[in-house]
Amino acid sequence: MLRYFSPGVWLLVFLAIGSSILVFLLPVAPRPGLIFWLFDRNHAMLSQHIADQWNRENPDMPVQVTLIPTSLGTRMLSGFYANTPVGDLIEVERSLIGQVFAGPLEDVGFVDLTDRLEEDRVGDMINTPSFSPWSTRDRIFGLPHDVHPVMLMYRADLVEAAGIDVSQIETWDDYFRIMRPLQRDLDGDSRIDRWLLSAGPTAFQFHEVFMLQAGGGYFAADGEPELNSEINVRILSQLAIWYVGPGRVTGELPTTPATAQQLIIDGYVVAMLAPDWFVGSIRNTLPAMAGKFKLMPLPAWEPGGRRTSVYGGTMLGITKASQHQDAAWEFAQKLYLSPETARGLYEMTRIITPIKANWDEPIYDEPDSYYCDQPIGRLFINLAPDVPLRPSSPFYVNAQQELNAAIIALCHYVEKRHISDPTLLHDQCRQLLDSAQARLLRQMQRNVFLRHTES
Amino acid sequence: MSSSRAYSPLVPWCLLAPFLVAFTTFTTWPLIRSLVLAFEQTYGPKTTAFVGLLNFKFLFADPMFWTAVGNTVLFTICAVCLQIPVALGLALLLNRPDIRGKRIFRLIFFAPSIVGLSFVAILFSLLLERRVGLINSSLHALFPAWDPDFPWLQNYVLTSMSGAVLWLSAGFYMIYFLAALQNVPSELLEAASMDGAGPWQRFRHITLPEIRPILNLITLLVVIGSLQLFELPFLVYNDTGGSGPDNRALTIVTYLYRTGFHSGDLGYASAIGWVLTLVLIGFALLQRVIARRAER
Repeated sequence: MLRYFSPGVWLLVFLAIGSSILVFLLPVAPRPGLIFWLFDRNHAMLSQHIADQWNRENPDMPVQVTLIPTSLGTRMLSGFYANTPVGDLIEVERSLIGQVFAGPLEDVGFVDLTDRLEEDRVGDMINTPSFSPWSTRDRIFGLPHDVHPVMLMYRADLVEAAGIDVSQIETWDDYFRIMRPLQRDLDGDSRIDRWLLSAGPTAFQFHEVFMLQAGGGYFAADGEPELNSEINVRILSQLAIWYVGPGRVTGELPTTPATAQQLIIDGYVVAMLAPDWFVGSIRNTLPAMAGKFKLMPLPAWEPGGRRTSVYGGTMLGITKASQHQDAAWEFAQKLYLSPETARGLYEMTRIITPIKANWDEPIYDEPDSYYCDQPIGRLFINLAPDVPLRPSSPFYVNAQQELNAAIIALCHYVEKRHISDPTLLHDQCRQLLDSAQARLLRQMQRNVFLRHTES
Repeated sequence: MSSSRAYSPLVPWCLLAPFLVAFTTFTTWPLIRSLVLAFEQTYGPKTTAFVGLLNFKFLFADPMFWTAVGNTVLFTICAVCLQIPVALGLALLLNRPDIRGKRIFRLIFFAPSIVGLSFVAILFSLLLERRVGLINSSLHALFPAWDPDFPWLQNYVLTSMSGAVLWLSAGFYMIYFLAALQNVPSELLEAASMDGAGPWQRFRHITLPEIRPILNLITLLVVIGSLQLFELPFLVYNDTGGSGPDNRALTIVTYLYRTGFHSGDLGYASAIGWVLTLVLIGFALLQRVIARRAER
């Protein structure tokens, strides 16, 4: 046999077998301390600071902060599904969490924190609505990072130049009536170049913000879908009229950040729905617009109604794969509960903490020169307790898709018939949402794991 | 010259072994595993439950799947009807002896296919953007009546996707056609000309039969490529998980990806994958039958 192959072939075979044996026999070095995965650069910078302090105090259990900006979701799910290595602590964005909750409760990759939150009285310290996205089947799997109340960010320069007094605005009807003079054709081509609000049929992220503000949403507190609720029917009918009706008042900003920013600078929209993180992001990315924006509570759907909503969210979870769950819990508390983190988070991103005890920090009362000296931290904190609940569901993405399809169909209906009265749309909207609800229920009923849990 | 060595019957197997190991590990085993998975419901590969034909039963009644099928088929039809004539047209143009700067044109037409679908997705997202996109702003500058907010990506999903893929692929297929056209015997064309055949008759009765094998191959490639469309809608409509407004950009592979890797339901994704595989095999067989009939 030896003579059939050249020495080169044998060398290759030897190297292949030898290196495989070596790799197999090499002991896997135990992971030092805790590994903390994050997707956001600002969060990582802030966490690194706290981690450095922790590492000085706990040299035998150091925390390694690892930024994974694009593939965190994939790597996390791969770890949960197939036991590939994952961090001990992971910060997860809301859009991903439904997938984590799609299986049996015992297979959720994060540690159930419900009992720890109760034992350590941490739950009482946190703004209650902030837990809702991170809970499934009455169990809590994450420590909330934020509250993300939504305000209305408007172009103060344009509004004040037009002599408009925003204190007269209480409802959306007031808003569009009072702001109407600002919607205009700027270049004389008979087309509107400035719209009153940034929203539209394909700006999907905002439909839920509006529905939640009005008390609607995708799911009820028990996890049952409620796409076709009467509140949703009413809100979506009104949105379709705003988006494409004969008296259209909204313009859609592009999804590409650079082009969207250019249009914001150009004054394409007078106002935008602005959660705290967006306020921070605009401040950091458009420094030349300093002094041109102001914030006000969202106009309510009806007099006396809720003046805020909620948009986005992140949690910190401890993975079941972690060998040091107690240490991870300790670090998580240090990171999320400390006033220092709250201050740093606000300074860097304008995100307010969900920890109620930290809401008294003076930093939140400081005037922000970018926003015409408004104390924007305090404005958001005042709205935080009113933030609506967002029950989590493994079928969140499916519900979102069904609703998006329904609103686009509704907008086509409005465009074809030139309808301007939202009440005339209710029947059509109800019909579309009934179909969407039926399709969603069908998908939910297919999931044998959740069926077993329920029974 | 005769071999002085007598090879052991094991030698061919030893030589084949690396390929067989790789093929079995990375192709045969996943294929078998995916077939098994198609009859299970999963939450990742760890948690599975045997559900028999339930995945397929649900699939055939799943409106989202049929939306994806409809979009994919429409896109495939557009791709075949656009890419092949444009690629052939470009090849015919560049095959003319009187065209100057052929090499430059060949490079220009072929260049987009070098950059890949991801680049094209980003490029077309920017080009077709409302108001600030190059297409809308140019059209508005040329024709003031043109709406600068024209919703290419929102309302004209198929047109936008087809345009992007046409830009990417036409030059690539043009090279195939050009090679085939250069093999058409010039004496046949000259003889036909002398017999009074016009350009269309020469094309119809000489050029087309001569390039038919390449035409068949390209048709098959376009069909298979279109049925597997994924990256373009996935990147352009990333904010909706690749499905686009009203699911109008949802393709079969995007749906498969979303089901398998976003929802973790590898079983249902495998069922979708197997249906797609059968459709692709069906198309390949159909194409073969048509090609054979045409040869006869």
